[in-house]
Amino acid sequence: MTPAASPMAQLPSPSGLRPTTEPPLVRRLLIGIALLFLTLFLFLPLASVFVQAFAKGIGFYLKTLSDPMAWSAVKLTLITAGISVPLNCVFGVAAAWAIAKFDFRGKNILLTLIDLPFSISPVISGLIYVLVFGAQGWLGLYENADKPWFPWLANWLNDHDIHIIFAPAGIVLATIFVTFPFVARELIPLMQAQGRTEEEAARVLGASGWQTFWRVTLPNIKWGLLYGVILCNARAMGEFGAVSVVSGHIRGQTNTIPLYVEVLYDEYNFTGAFAMASVLAFLALVTLAIKIWVERKNTALNTATNNHQ
Amino acid sequence: MSVEVKNLTKKFGSFVALDEVNLKVDSGELVALLGPSGSGKTTLLRTIAGLEFPDPGKAQILFYGQDVTMIPASQRQAGFAFQHYALFRHLTVFENIAFGLRVRPASTRPAESDIRQRVDKLLQLIQLEPLGGRYPAQLSGGQRQRVALARALAVEPKVLLLDEPFGALDAKVRKDLRRWLRNLHDEIHITTLFVTHDQEEALEVSDRVAILRAGKIEQIGTPEQIYDHPASPFVYDFLGNVNLFHGRIHEGSVVIGDTTYAAEESNHAPQAPAVAFVRPHDIRITREPAPPRTFPARVIRSNAAGPFAQLELERVDGGDRFMAQLSKDEFQRLMPKNGEPVFVELMNVRVFGDDFSI
Repeated sequence: MTPAASPMAQLPSPSGLRPTTEPPLVRRLLIGIALLFLTLFLFLPLASVFVQAFAKGIGFYLKTLSDPMAWSAVKLTLITAGISVPLNCVFGVAAAWAIAKFDFRGKNILLTLIDLPFSISPVISGLIYVLVFGAQGWLGLYENADKPWFPWLANWLNDHDIHIIFAPAGIVLATIFVTFPFVARELIPLMQAQGRTEEEAARVLGASGWQTFWRVTLPNIKWGLLYGVILCNARAMGEFGAVSVVSGHIRGQTNTIPLYVEVLYDEYNFTGAFAMASVLAFLALVTLAIKIWVERKNTALNTATNNHQ
Repeated sequence: MSVEVKNLTKKFGSFVALDEVNLKVDSGELVALLGPSGSGKTTLLRTIAGLEFPDPGKAQILFYGQDVTMIPASQRQAGFAFQHYALFRHLTVFENIAFGLRVRPASTRPAESDIRQRVDKLLQLIQLEPLGGRYPAQLSGGQRQRVALARALAVEPKVLLLDEPFGALDAKVRKDLRRWLRNLHDEIHITTLFVTHDQEEALEVSDRVAILRAGKIEQIGTPEQIYDHPASPFVYDFLGNVNLFHGRIHEGSVVIGDTTYAAEESNHAPQAPAVAFVRPHDIRITREPAPPRTFPARVIRSNAAGPFAQLELERVDGGDRFMAQLSKDEFQRLMPKNGEPVFVELMNVRVFGDDFSI
């Protein structure tokens, strides 16, 4: 605000200002804007979740959470994440390994396919599953389907009374689809940067493909992989759109936490909705904490190995 | 014959990396594959290791008479040292060296105590005994290269393949490690092929040098043979500094200016344009003319820094510019000034027809 400050700040100061450093006024202004934005759009909503959750006291909060419906939502969320995250971990490593270490036709198509879940709306992802696996879907899984493409599959699923749409299986499938890119996207640049020579060295030394993967590739990507898994997990637990389409909102059966929050909210049970939301927020904060720990560990490891040159 | 390569062709798309290459390496020999970048030397080495496969056809790779053309890298028993070492960054030096032994199937894997013993012995060989517990990132470039060598040697390979082993090191370390490698080879006598683009390195270290150009072996021979009797202008030029003099073939001699030199190759057409190749240290400079052996030239520039003095000269008849190398003694006796006329005598002239390219 003081006009005298700016020409002074542009002079090279003996205190070691770097040429790329902006004047203090500009710096403070930029930091201020960023902080204001973060407070308004991130911190306040997060804080309000917890404030609202306890608006009717701790007793009501505990009562909401101890409701069997709430428990089933938490359970389903954890099961969904528990299935989709390990599967995407395997798929992601396989895809990244193939893309980074081998040359083949259609590599770019595969890369685009991996990005597909990121680029289309989650609601559409859910709809795709309804169209494919639903009662009138292409795979025609149920009796009233007109022409099943795979009658044996439809029969087998019917005989065993396995349902996909409006059932946990559909929720898991939709979640896998939506969270697929996280691990692969995290690993591809890392594995590309590391190159193939270490694997080649292992092969020449007599290691089999499997040994090369376990002894050379995996140790080199483990922190990147963990980071991808954390991001994948966060999204798997929080996914709403795709899951909402395939779930059918059957209480106690196909509601995940985000869906149950919506159910409570629609019933004007705002405090209950926020109580459930606080559980999700808590899970997110735990994920975030693990993520920070992984990052610390990672940089500590890097500096430790680089410092002794 | 420990390594034999027959009719090896390898294309990457439309680029021909190797074109019908044939190579034989004797048991215990140290052979350098020398060539400019893109000449196919690394591809040849990688194909021998099994990291690339030759184009289908008549190609054959033999290790001690056994056809390994279709055997994957993991079963070829070749040791390979990569240009940028490719050490396993998450393993210690000790575990890097032990890797090839630990991944063996249980039936052929040595006991833990044997592995320990063998790795310790290799650490001793590469003079890095105290650093077994370090990680690759904590080593200097020269140390990493030695670990890479020890790792390749640990599996007792039939043949050792080194890809630009000193390429990423600074000049001083390069020279030390070069000598160390030669001594190591004299000690353990393992058949070794190494790739380099540095002619000095190839000439100093190897028993034989194979010079590659555009996917073909241009010449192969002992360092002396190829330096003194280069088979082509390309080899001549690649092995060191060289001056070119343009002239004409006349009755089995080449005429440069007014001076006649006997051409070694006499199969050129009469009056055909020819180029004479002369190394800078084969040029003698005098103040007095001595016809018919000398021709006049002018000094353009001189530089006496270093063990030898360099002169840049130009033919008076408006022809080629060329470099001459003089001993310090000679330079002091002559004390040429820029622009001064002198007389030049060429020795060890090598004549090639004009229909070549370098």
